[in-house]
Amino acid sequence: MSSLLEARSLRRQLPGDPPIQLVRDINLTIERGSFTTIVGPSGCGKSSLLYLLSLLDRPTSGELLFEGREVSNLSGDERAQLRLARFGFVFQFHFLLPEFSALENVMLPMRRLARLNYDASRERAMHLLATMGLAGKENKTPDRLSGGERQRVAIARALANDPVLILGDEPTGNLDSHNSANVVETLRALAHEENRAVACVTHDLEIAELSDVRIEMLDGRVERIVDQRKKSKA
Amino acid sequence: MIGRTGFLLGIALRHLSRRQRQTIVAVSGVAVGVGFFLAVSALMVGSQNDFIRQLIDAAPHVIISDELRSPSPQPGQREFGDGAVELHGYKVRTEVRGIKDWQAIMTAANEMPGAIASPSLTGGVTLRLGGHEEPLAIVGVEPEIEAKISTIDEKLRAGHLRDLETVQGGIIIGEELAQRLSVNMGDIVAATSSTAGTRSMRIVGLAKRGQAQISSSSGYVLLREAQSMLGRPFIINRIGIRLDDPYAAEEVAARLEKRFGYKAESWQERSAEFLSLLVTRNVIMYSVVSAILLVASFGIYTVVSNSVADKRRDIAILRSIGFSEGDLQFIFVMEGIILALIGVLFGWMLGYGLMEILGSLDFSIGGETEHIPLDRTPRQYAIAAVASLIAGSIAAWLPARKASRVDPVDILRGAI
Repeated sequence: MSSLLEARSLRRQLPGDPPIQLVRDINLTIERGSFTTIVGPSGCGKSSLLYLLSLLDRPTSGELLFEGREVSNLSGDERAQLRLARFGFVFQFHFLLPEFSALENVMLPMRRLARLNYDASRERAMHLLATMGLAGKENKTPDRLSGGERQRVAIARALANDPVLILGDEPTGNLDSHNSANVVETLRALAHEENRAVACVTHDLEIAELSDVRIEMLDGRVERIVDQRKKSKA
Repeated sequence: MIGRTGFLLGIALRHLSRRQRQTIVAVSGVAVGVGFFLAVSALMVGSQNDFIRQLIDAAPHVIISDELRSPSPQPGQREFGDGAVELHGYKVRTEVRGIKDWQAIMTAANEMPGAIASPSLTGGVTLRLGGHEEPLAIVGVEPEIEAKISTIDEKLRAGHLRDLETVQGGIIIGEELAQRLSVNMGDIVAATSSTAGTRSMRIVGLAKRGQAQISSSSGYVLLREAQSMLGRPFIINRIGIRLDDPYAAEEVAARLEKRFGYKAESWQERSAEFLSLLVTRNVIMYSVVSAILLVASFGIYTVVSNSVADKRRDIAILRSIGFSEGDLQFIFVMEGIILALIGVLFGWMLGYGLMEILGSLDFSIGGETEHIPLDRTPRQYAIAAVASLIAGSIAAWLPARKASRVDPVDILRGAI
């Protein structure tokens, strides 16, 4: 297992008197080929941690290494480029752009990265939607898709630029149990079969049970890290 | 790079297409602003150009007269200068009026590129017919040359300037004067001058009413005729110069005046008052028009500002996907520019339509059917477009900057 993302003494506080500690003393690694979940009660800082790991937010102190390179002090544009080319995001409220069809939503990151031309982007987006079981619904706008379908479009969009790291913020948050199980299965497959790293924040303990590594948080700190693969072997 | 620009442009267009009503309002604001700017400026610039053309054509572009800006010193002054002397029986020397060595000036003027000089002599006579007496300022000219420097021929109701050469004692006077004397083409009038007595003149041309060039009390005769009538043989007191480029008049006048000492007056100097009036007019016009365009840009500001407010969630998505701050700013600035562009296109059409209407109106001034002078040059269209685009970009840039500064984390946190 190779370490893809590594946090060393990561701390994030909001200015105030006294400063508000969002997260502190975070030491963890996220590996390729593993499905990691971050769990904890609400307000424990798990979302704040995810924003730090996804380079959307900057840590107050500490180091964040992506593929061995310090990335916490990169410029805004460099971070955006890294997110675009290497990261994929799945949000709780699926966050599709309402004016664009499913196909166009999936094409957005590819068109922005411009590694593929229009036709190739389109072809890849069609393929991704088909693997998500959305063949035939490419031209529907988000308001004409069900919740589960939208979340699958969001996953297809997260995969658009073939990211090495997929981050989820309560990706099953507002889905029924059937759709929820589908999404988790998809995320697990992305980690295990395609050797990507998947990390999700969730409050659903069933999902956490299904993950390879479970990071438990409390009061802005990592309470413990459970490697469930070892447990199952043992 | 072009692909990315087009792609971001596509997002901007998609945003606008979903807010059609606001888009239409903002576009109409710009269109009305641009349309009326075009109509008003076509009127203002058109009438100004027409006015300036008339000022330029009213008389030669540069007129050298026998006046001196500062009179040459009297012999006594020349001789003793600042000295304290007492002179008895001192007589002021009377200089003969007229331009001395005028042939040299003529040659110098004609040597300038694009310049034609025409000599003339002016003086006062009295026209007499029956019991009527009318004072007349006569201008003696060489018809061949004068025709090249002035537009007098176009302003004649009857006859030609050249007829002065073919008819013995020919004279061209204004219609109004002819009416007062109740004379017509071919009639004979008596002209009396203080120096050379009375002689008979035959009317060979009538100038239209309301012409500055031939006012109701002046007339054209042959230069030789004027010289003999006024008793000033071989003398001229005015040289008119026509230039290919009227705007070089000031410089040419200054050069000639410096070289020969005689007062050389350009058309700009002659009409300085009018020209300063035009500056005021322009200031008024452009302030009104800027206000119109400014108000139009408020519409753009509103649309883009609303768009940014509505799209905060989308902005967060795009930022988390990996769109940069610059990308977001570009998208929203483009929304403003697109609105301005569409507005400009409709505004051009509106302006063109308004000009067509204004241009088709007929006016009757002094018996002549006239159209409103309009400036329809592309320059006005370009000014309107550039001004609207700049105003639109600034109006869009303000909220767009806000969009690019949206912190996706704040929005994601709020949404969960």
